[in-house]
Amino acid sequence: MEKEAILELRNIRKVFDKNVALDSVSFSLYPGEIHGLLGGNGAGKTTLMNVLYGLYRRDDGDINFHGQKLNIQGPKDAITHGIGMVHQHFLQIGSYTVLENIVLGTDVSHPVTMKLSAEAQKIIDLGNRFRLPVDPNAVVDTLPVGTRQKVEILKALYRGVEVLILDEPTTNLTPQEVDDLFESLRVIVNEGLSIVFITHKLREVLHVCDRITVLREGRNITSLTRAEASEEIFVRAMVGDQMKIEGSVYFSHGSMANTAVDESATPALEMHDVGLKTKEGISRLAGLNFQIRQGELFGVAGVAGNGQRELAECVTGVVIPTEGKILMKGQDVTDVPVCELLKDWISYIPEDRLHDGFLPKANVAQNLILGYHRQEPYCEGSFIKWDTVYDKVRGYIGEYKIKTNGPEDPGGNLSGGNIQRVMIARAFSMNSHLMVAHNPTRGLDIPSMDFVYNKMLERKETGASTLLISEDLDELLLICDRIAVLYRGQIVGILARKDFDKYVIGRLMSGIQAEETADLRAAS
Amino acid sequence: MDSLVTFLRLTLLSMVPFVLAAQGTMLGGRTGVFNVAQEGIMLVGASLGFIGSYLAGGSTLVGIAAAVLVGGIFGLALAYFTTTLKMNQFVIGLSLLFIGTGLSTLIPKLVIGVTLSQPLIPTLQDLPIPLLSQIPFLGTVLFSHNILVYFAIVLSIGLWYFLFRTQLGLELRSVGENPNAADSLGINTSKHRYVTAILGGMLIGLAGAYLPMVYTGTFTEGMVKGRGWLTIALTFFAGWSPLPVLYGSLFFAGIEVASYRFQAGGIAIPYQYLLMVPYLATILVMMFTFRKTRVPGFLGNNYDREKRSL
Repeated sequence: MEKEAILELRNIRKVFDKNVALDSVSFSLYPGEIHGLLGGNGAGKTTLMNVLYGLYRRDDGDINFHGQKLNIQGPKDAITHGIGMVHQHFLQIGSYTVLENIVLGTDVSHPVTMKLSAEAQKIIDLGNRFRLPVDPNAVVDTLPVGTRQKVEILKALYRGVEVLILDEPTTNLTPQEVDDLFESLRVIVNEGLSIVFITHKLREVLHVCDRITVLREGRNITSLTRAEASEEIFVRAMVGDQMKIEGSVYFSHGSMANTAVDESATPALEMHDVGLKTKEGISRLAGLNFQIRQGELFGVAGVAGNGQRELAECVTGVVIPTEGKILMKGQDVTDVPVCELLKDWISYIPEDRLHDGFLPKANVAQNLILGYHRQEPYCEGSFIKWDTVYDKVRGYIGEYKIKTNGPEDPGGNLSGGNIQRVMIARAFSMNSHLMVAHNPTRGLDIPSMDFVYNKMLERKETGASTLLISEDLDELLLICDRIAVLYRGQIVGILARKDFDKYVIGRLMSGIQAEETADLRAAS
Repeated sequence: MDSLVTFLRLTLLSMVPFVLAAQGTMLGGRTGVFNVAQEGIMLVGASLGFIGSYLAGGSTLVGIAAAVLVGGIFGLALAYFTTTLKMNQFVIGLSLLFIGTGLSTLIPKLVIGVTLSQPLIPTLQDLPIPLLSQIPFLGTVLFSHNILVYFAIVLSIGLWYFLFRTQLGLELRSVGENPNAADSLGINTSKHRYVTAILGGMLIGLAGAYLPMVYTGTFTEGMVKGRGWLTIALTFFAGWSPLPVLYGSLFFAGIEVASYRFQAGGIAIPYQYLLMVPYLATILVMMFTFRKTRVPGFLGNNYDREKRSL
């Protein structure tokens, strides 16, 4: 490109305590481009942009904007200079309306009466111009994720930004919403703005970005235009030399051979009209009917908050369903509590690792046997055999690549990704007929994700089943035998592998019972 | 009829400390600063209000200024330890509570010494509003009060308008709901927290000064008698909103007046039971209303921009 870069970050360094999050990272942005910032979890993409946006103080390096050195102390400075950011976890006030969220922090025309009709009109106009329609008077809490994201983008556009940073904007969107988003982004750059698009999804980057910068472990790896790069170059740049790409599940595009499932054996899990109501009588799950066969990898897709957590907790016995029956291998386990189920029957990777899965004050070994501490080989009578525990745990730390000083290290010292590895090691280290895994790869880098996928596929060979509940549709499409879609606590469709189509699933996720789905079912 | 007029009049009169302290609590809470030191700040406000007035030869204005000032200092301390040093709000609040309680008895002893009977200061005069106070019934109940009664009502309405109808109010509330969002939009979260904590402390200090200046004319140890604690409950069940705080204060004041009247009426119930009534009422009210009210999303938490969540 012959144009001058409008924004340049040079040799940015950022250290958290002792962790070097960014080590001399440079980045440049041209006007009118969508620039992909690609990398696995922990690569430093978000940290770099938080430094630019003024949320993190940089320890070293320069920011040049329009050829001038910027000294950004906080988001206010960034906004003043025309830099806006849409965070992965939306920074919105749930109890405020769309309008209030957007004008918050700006000077409105009537500050002491808050007559905001002019502002509302401006938002509607912007929405029309950039294909981001929203109702200014809707309360944000009541809106679906896709609309909340539009609000977040409008918030930046309303402030007249020149540079828009989007942090993992496709998380939790249905494929249709992703397409709409990409279309809006194109309209935005056509009007002369520039976009930084942070993602860990290679396909999205290749689909929408003009130029791509890859980060790994807090360092620059490469910066290329889309035209001059092949997918393979980026794959190699993202994962480094430590991983074999051939034979990896992550990069296989779901083309690996799936071993057949024994359909004649008793199902590992049967759900009969399972429903869950809260004490206030609000229905969280209703009329769930499905079976997971032995050796089957069964996926559950859905936009977060549609009953995934409740489903996982009902199956694992954490919560007793208020209606229906749950059978495992033909045995009624509806009322069996989780501590009994953990003996042989199930293993569980909960979604919220800090709330349900991990004790930050306990050490790594204690965390690794949590829930299994009453069982062989960790326990004898009423006593825990700590020698055995520490022996075993040392092995698991190596096998699961948990970065820690040893089994005695307090759990709170681990990073998020390593805490996730502890939970994965715990679930995979014990035998179970059914594994319930809820967003198991959240916060993991690509080699670790691949490791988890391989482990899950290995389970199939021994006839063990897996219930994989995930917000990452690509993950489900990659390894599952069947995918059920959960919408408002109900299963609105179950697709077999040969019928997998992300748009069909996307429609189901947003509650649209599309005719195509019915057609597909009829055809199959 | 007469006893009803007297009852309503006294209810309005006794509402003031609840209104002032609860609005102060509410204001801080709206930016996430949860003050639990009301009892201590009210005591030290009562103590210094009394001493200030006494030293200035009975000047109400000096007394009020002293109470407001000391309340503001306590609010500042709360803001500094929690917002700048990010220390636990409850621990700091409880420490301030005990410091306030201790100072409230220490200061009169240092200034006046130990006496058999404490000196008296003049109490606040009633300021009947011309014309309006002539209206039968309402005139006596509503428009013939001391200035702080009017102030409490005007303050409540003013705070409601400010918080829910102005740009600054919108920004201020956003800090208590989601400081991450507020900060990302360039709103100075620390400034808002400091300002509301200090103003809140001032109101709570003033609430304390009301007791010697209207009720007794002197300071006695522990004279706040749990009103500070009731304030916390009141603020919760009023959903951290100015107008419900006003109604709730009326309710608590009504119960307080009623329980004193029963005592004075010589009904054969030991007075200890009657003194429990406000607290029992609190529990009952909380049982029925608290479940429905909402609190500011970030209440009681400290915001640290660079803290990474796992």
